[in-house]
Amino acid sequence: MDKKILMKIKDLSVTYQTRLGPVSAVDHVSFDIYKGEILGLVGESGCGKSTLGKALLRMIDPPGEISSGEIIFKGEDIMKYDYNKLRNFRGKRASMIFQDPMTSLNPVQRMDEHLIEAIGVHEPGVKRESALKRSKKMIKRLGIGADRLHSYPHQLSGGMRQRVMTGIGLILNANLIIADEATTSLDVIVEAKLMDQLREIREEFGISLLMITHNIALVAEMADRIAVMYAGHMVEIGDIYKIFEHPKHPYTQGLLASVPNIQFDANEELYKMPGEPPNLTHPPKGCRFHPRCPHAMPICSTREPSLLEIEKGWLVNCWLYQKHQD
Amino acid sequence: MNNQNEKMDSAVPEWQLELDKVGFVRKLLLARKWYKGDWWFVLVSAVLLLVIIILGVFPQWFAPYDPKAEVGPSLLAPGEETPGFLLLANIDDHVVTLQEIATKTNKIGYIMGSQATQALRDSLEIMNEEADNEETGITYQPRGYRYEDIQQGLDALQAGEIDGFIVSSEELGDHLQDYPGIHFVEEVRSSKASSFTLGTNQLGQDILSRIIWGTRIALIVGLSSACISFVIGVPLGLISGFFGGKLDRILTLIMDSLYAFPGLILAIAIAAVLGAGIGNIILAIAVIYIPTYFRVVRGQTLTVKNELYVEAARSLGTKTSTILWKYVFPNVLPSVVIIFSVNVADAILTEAGLSFLGLGLPPDTPDWGIDLARGQDYLRSAWWLITCPGMMVSLVTLSFSMLGESLSEILNPRLSEL
Amino acid sequence: MNSVETLKQSDDYILELHNVKKYFPVQKSLLEQIFAGRKDFVRAVDDVSLNIRRGEAFGLAGESGSGKTTIGRLSIGLEELTDGRVVFNGIDLASLKKEELRKLRQKMQVIFQDPMASLNPRMTLGSSVMQGLIIHYPELSNQHRDMVAEIFEKVGLTPANYYFNKFPHQISGGQRQRVVIARALITRPDLVLADEPVAMADVSVRALLLDLMVQLKNEFNLTYLFITHDLATAKYICDRIGILYLGKLAEVATVQEVYQRPMHPYTKALLAAIPVPNPRKRRTEVMPAGEIPNPINPPPGCRFHPRCPIAQPDCAVDEPPLVEVEPGHFVACKYAKLS
Repeated sequence: MDKKILMKIKDLSVTYQTRLGPVSAVDHVSFDIYKGEILGLVGESGCGKSTLGKALLRMIDPPGEISSGEIIFKGEDIMKYDYNKLRNFRGKRASMIFQDPMTSLNPVQRMDEHLIEAIGVHEPGVKRESALKRSKKMIKRLGIGADRLHSYPHQLSGGMRQRVMTGIGLILNANLIIADEATTSLDVIVEAKLMDQLREIREEFGISLLMITHNIALVAEMADRIAVMYAGHMVEIGDIYKIFEHPKHPYTQGLLASVPNIQFDANEELYKMPGEPPNLTHPPKGCRFHPRCPHAMPICSTREPSLLEIEKGWLVNCWLYQKHQD
Repeated sequence: MNNQNEKMDSAVPEWQLELDKVGFVRKLLLARKWYKGDWWFVLVSAVLLLVIIILGVFPQWFAPYDPKAEVGPSLLAPGEETPGFLLLANIDDHVVTLQEIATKTNKIGYIMGSQATQALRDSLEIMNEEADNEETGITYQPRGYRYEDIQQGLDALQAGEIDGFIVSSEELGDHLQDYPGIHFVEEVRSSKASSFTLGTNQLGQDILSRIIWGTRIALIVGLSSACISFVIGVPLGLISGFFGGKLDRILTLIMDSLYAFPGLILAIAIAAVLGAGIGNIILAIAVIYIPTYFRVVRGQTLTVKNELYVEAARSLGTKTSTILWKYVFPNVLPSVVIIFSVNVADAILTEAGLSFLGLGLPPDTPDWGIDLARGQDYLRSAWWLITCPGMMVSLVTLSFSMLGESLSEILNPRLSEL
Repeated sequence: MNSVETLKQSDDYILELHNVKKYFPVQKSLLEQIFAGRKDFVRAVDDVSLNIRRGEAFGLAGESGSGKTTIGRLSIGLEELTDGRVVFNGIDLASLKKEELRKLRQKMQVIFQDPMASLNPRMTLGSSVMQGLIIHYPELSNQHRDMVAEIFEKVGLTPANYYFNKFPHQISGGQRQRVVIARALITRPDLVLADEPVAMADVSVRALLLDLMVQLKNEFNLTYLFITHDLATAKYICDRIGILYLGKLAEVATVQEVYQRPMHPYTKALLAAIPVPNPRKRRTEVMPAGEIPNPINPPPGCRFHPRCPIAQPDCAVDEPPLVEVEPGHFVACKYAKLS
């Protein structure tokens, strides 16, 4: 039962020109996003996950640029899209929810106007009454009371604003929603309710959700698959149950073992990973994780491994699972 | 935990340690790679400023002449050779040099108002000097005769009323054709340098020397007034921003009123009240800028005082005065440095403006503003009178502004990743 | 009214909060002031009483609007009380003059949430950390540098001389937080207020920092007042924890008790909402309806009653007091029981 692929990312690289030299924030990353799945993209600061999310909508501004790769959506490479096709893609096919809803919403525009405008931009033929009706329906669907329809962003709580952001993406029947730290600024109960909403929406509309977050517990709660990034590289990606139970990449192992657990389990010690994520202007030679890896081998400091499929649907980027010379 | 500590040691990345071993000069050169355009900007402006400062501190080394001395013919264009004048005499007199007809018994003629007199005087001076040196005992002092135009002069010469006639080639034109008995003896030149790099003004003063000496005045006025503004404006801004309250409101009111005045007009008003003199000019200009420092520092202080590190300092138990001095002021300073450089530039401009209007400096001071004022009427005929001091003002202003802007890039601590 | 806790043993309390209140006046435009008449207040902290034992790590947890940060600031005198008393080491903070309070700061230090923002960007790390010594131990000035080196080594910033002259932007986030910890501890305080100290650090670094904090607590005999919204992290460092809702305490007990046997409906909801890093243990509980109300106009009676699944009619009328239902376990709910 092969799941259908919604978006295929091949060899994507994003480079930033900084004063200290070029920084490869995302380095030759390849993976797929399936239809209707929730994919959790995790990693620590500087790993490139947010950059990757933005790159999928080609929203990288100078001094950064997408220096290589293809992003294939419904058979077309969006890297080759011209301005108009790109505008059509953004919002209608794929949309993004950002961390701070306050700054992503227009403070002088009412909530219903936000939704109507979104429709107006992408479906210009639609009449206003029809757009208004759709907006009302969407707001109700999102669990916001109809009386809040005419509110300004600052009159709504953070949770509600995030829901409106989601609504803007959904109202145009987008296929993919990219949530970049969408719940980081929310209280945990509000976050839980928003997650419930997103799950329902996924069931009902069949959209794919790419959850970019540093909150690993949240990904365990929500996602079907998990992708782990480190220092610009994708190190492991696969089914969530399998990876949580038997993580293969040493970074994933360390990362999962260092996540605090509110429940009392047998093991109460948090794993303390030594060292810190590298400075991307001077990344370590070979595998970027090798200075902190308890299983480092000589080859790890000389050559970079590649992201290989070691089991069906499970890709790992580590010499422990690949043939090498020594 | 000790194991963790050891691992922490190697956590200091190699390249970082390498970087620290690099000396200051190498850092400066490495900076070029990192800052690229800005580095060159700073370099150029720094060099320019250095040149300007040296000119201002030691003008006597560079200026070829005394700026107040009338050393050349008036309104000489840059590079133009001082006009040579033609000594005419009767062919029959067999005169070969001016010296022969320059003694007390001789009579030399010239056209009224001509520059020829200057050339004659200069030549006589040289001849007299030589006579003194060789102790010949001869004094060269012929009697001068003025004529209204060239023909009268030539007639007189032909008639033998004068021994020699000195004219410029323009004045002569082709009149010599009508006087076959008169011929050209030799060229009479001004003894001083044959040309002036930037020409001379209407008083015959060398413009190059004047603008070099003008640098000194400009720098003195610019830097002093900027320093005074700084020393008054910054502390007031700090206190006002940090403590707020009534004091803040009163000060803001005063400063805003001052700020609302157009700078030059305010300076004129103050200069008019205080009177002439360089000290008063400096004070007048200083007052204009105090509000700018005040506003910027106050604004920055308002931001900085709410920063977490100020709160952290307070929770540490730091005294208020220490907070102001160690925490607020250093973080407010970068923005002020830029203001300072622009301030100096603008002060120089204002000072030029004031002198232009005739307020303040004594009229014979070699000052750019004064020169600009004097050159107004000659804009068409002798453009170099205005252009040269004008360009100096622009250049110095530009250098200070450039330096200020490029410094702002570099002073930001996030960028000093060296 | 909330009653002051009565503990059987005579404990050595380093910090006592008695009926502490903090109301912030709401800024209103001139027009609003004329028409509204009365003043509105944000009731950030509304009658909270707590005793913190010497040597324990006490966690104050809550969501936004709970007042946890304000309580922290009130506890060390960075904020003025609207009502109530704060007693530190037996001294009522309100009785101190400004200068005396300033000198007392040596004994109560703060670790802030954002290490980048809480370090002076223009001061070297060594200098920043040394400030505490300069202020409180000026007579030891020739030893200051050595003392800084010593604390740097303790927090894992070695070689100390290397870090002494660095600026905050030249080191990583985890290292910055270590500097902040060093700065807080160099004056050998008794109480350390830690305001979300690891919230901004990466997950893999958090464990190290928490470990460091526990180790230093034992070594220096410190007491922590740990403010957090992240209950999962709090579990690893706190001994006791207090759950705040809208300016009032809902539940106070040891970490084991609160996490494994929560009694207040809010605590139960909060714990259920927190995701567990195990995909086989996904949440099944339903979340309480509604959102946190506006602290300017909190609901009457029990503040949680509009959202509470077990609310009774009288919950809207009487505010429940914080009562010791089991030894050491306090709950502010009349109908709370173990589920």
